[in-house]
Amino acid sequence: MTMLRMEGIRKRFGGHTVLDGLSFSIRRGEVYGLLGPNGCGKSTAINILCNLLDSDAGTVEVAGEPVSRRTQRRIGACPQEIALYKDLRPQENLDFFARLYDLSGADRRRRVAELVRLFRLEPFARASVADLSGGWRQRVNIATALVHSPEVLILDEPTSAVDLEARHELWELIEGLKQGGITTLLTTHHLDEAERLCTRVGIMREGRIAAEGSLPDLLALVPAKAIALIETGDEEGARSRAEALGWATRAYAGKLGVLLARQVSLREVVEAFDGIEVSSVSVQPVALEHAYLQVLHGAAPVDDAHAETVTEAASGAVLRGSS
Amino acid sequence: MTSPTLQQTLAVARRILLEFWRQRRSLIFWAVFPALMLLLFGLIYRNNASMRAGFDTTPAGILIGAALFFSCLGGTVSIIVAERERRTLRRLLISPLNPVAYFLGIVAALSTVACCQAAIVFALAFALGARYHGSIALGALIVALSVFAYVGLGFFFGARFAKRAEDVNGPVAAFGVPLLVLGGTFFPTSLMPGFLIALARFDPVYHMNEAMKGVAGRGEGWDQLAGDLAFLAIFAAVSLALGVVSYRRMLTEEKRS
Repeated sequence: MTMLRMEGIRKRFGGHTVLDGLSFSIRRGEVYGLLGPNGCGKSTAINILCNLLDSDAGTVEVAGEPVSRRTQRRIGACPQEIALYKDLRPQENLDFFARLYDLSGADRRRRVAELVRLFRLEPFARASVADLSGGWRQRVNIATALVHSPEVLILDEPTSAVDLEARHELWELIEGLKQGGITTLLTTHHLDEAERLCTRVGIMREGRIAAEGSLPDLLALVPAKAIALIETGDEEGARSRAEALGWATRAYAGKLGVLLARQVSLREVVEAFDGIEVSSVSVQPVALEHAYLQVLHGAAPVDDAHAETVTEAASGAVLRGSS
Repeated sequence: MTSPTLQQTLAVARRILLEFWRQRRSLIFWAVFPALMLLLFGLIYRNNASMRAGFDTTPAGILIGAALFFSCLGGTVSIIVAERERRTLRRLLISPLNPVAYFLGIVAALSTVACCQAAIVFALAFALGARYHGSIALGALIVALSVFAYVGLGFFFGARFAKRAEDVNGPVAAFGVPLLVLGGTFFPTSLMPGFLIALARFDPVYHMNEAMKGVAGRGEGWDQLAGDLAFLAIFAAVSLALGVVSYRRMLTEEKRS
């Protein structure tokens, strides 16, 4: 069953088009990662799903029902910022929001106790949220979104402001929720997070989904088995050498990326660039990061044409562009 | 009022009171400030033979101007600004919270604070020899109308002029304190020149003070206070409407942010 569906969503603010035909759907129990650079329209899409904004065109449905104040109850949204009452204790925050969702006495107490247990908040029963570390505050932030047992959970960059250890702990928690069967929409800039948690990923570019699929599908968009990243003072020379060897190249975050059609050892790559000024070389298997950059910078640019071309890649990933 | 709205109103009120309890410093200031002002002005007026027993009339002005003004108007502005700064306003928007319940929850929480302040001010005044001469129900109505008016204005200032915590003092000081002085909070309006008295009649604080001084200090009833009560009722309704409109506008802006 489709739990969330956005179809052909358009949204303009003044003269600026933020969403330009955004379409995706999430099935029950899926964790869908919505990725994209800042300003690509992720937050606007979330605001529309949460019924905070109206779209100018298109269809938005939650469990088959057009988005409305009623569908808000089926969604639990965890904002990127810690949106909690910091002078209150974790369970007092949970209790307050449970009351807003009309949970009555016994049900409310049971649900708050469940969440305190699930998010391991028992040691902080007497502490105010202000006294908690960033990671623990984020736990309370997520728990608060679940207080009314929603069918869909929206996590907006849940680990953007926590340290590495807390991030891993939050991943475990989110994996636990995933096993519980909750449908989740996750936005993140940490691509390793999307790799670990998401069953499907949509990559947004210029207000629409530019590519979508499971992790293997998206990885298959990169025409390589591995990528050598080379830092060089002679980029032109390195590029010519790679092309002479039949290796395609891409620019990856200030480095020259060499797409390797087969797994090649570091030694082979170093030897291949012998005689060219190279300051560092690394070889790594293709990851979501590479597929992401491929989609954002490697594919044909999205132009303003209305007709949309959807290409089913050999892998199963769907590439969407304009013709 | 439907049951969910009532439950939400009580939830908002409970949460605000719990927050006040956790930040006891604010509560202490809200108790200490009117108590000190009462002592100070009560002693000043008692020393002046031409004035009626200072501690009979002083508590009314102190309650309206030094207690309710800062707790209900300043308190509302602070609550709204904090809600916006903490981003909890956004979370409330996603929840099924009825805006009316939110508004009434703040009124309920601040009315509780107002009752405590009234108890403190009058208990202290009683201990110093003052007496309450009029109808308690009438006094409670004046306090309730004052709370509604201040909360409405608080919503207006908080939603329109105070985007950050640092902005709170500006509008409260710039608009509020002159209204307090003109309204005869700290001294009898009979000391003011004629043109200021004429101007004061447009000041809601003047009518709050006159009504409260009338009922508490002089034992006046509905007939004598009808004009002040009518002004207050109209002003409370207008400021509530103004507050609701400003709050809705703020919610629309918040949804777009």
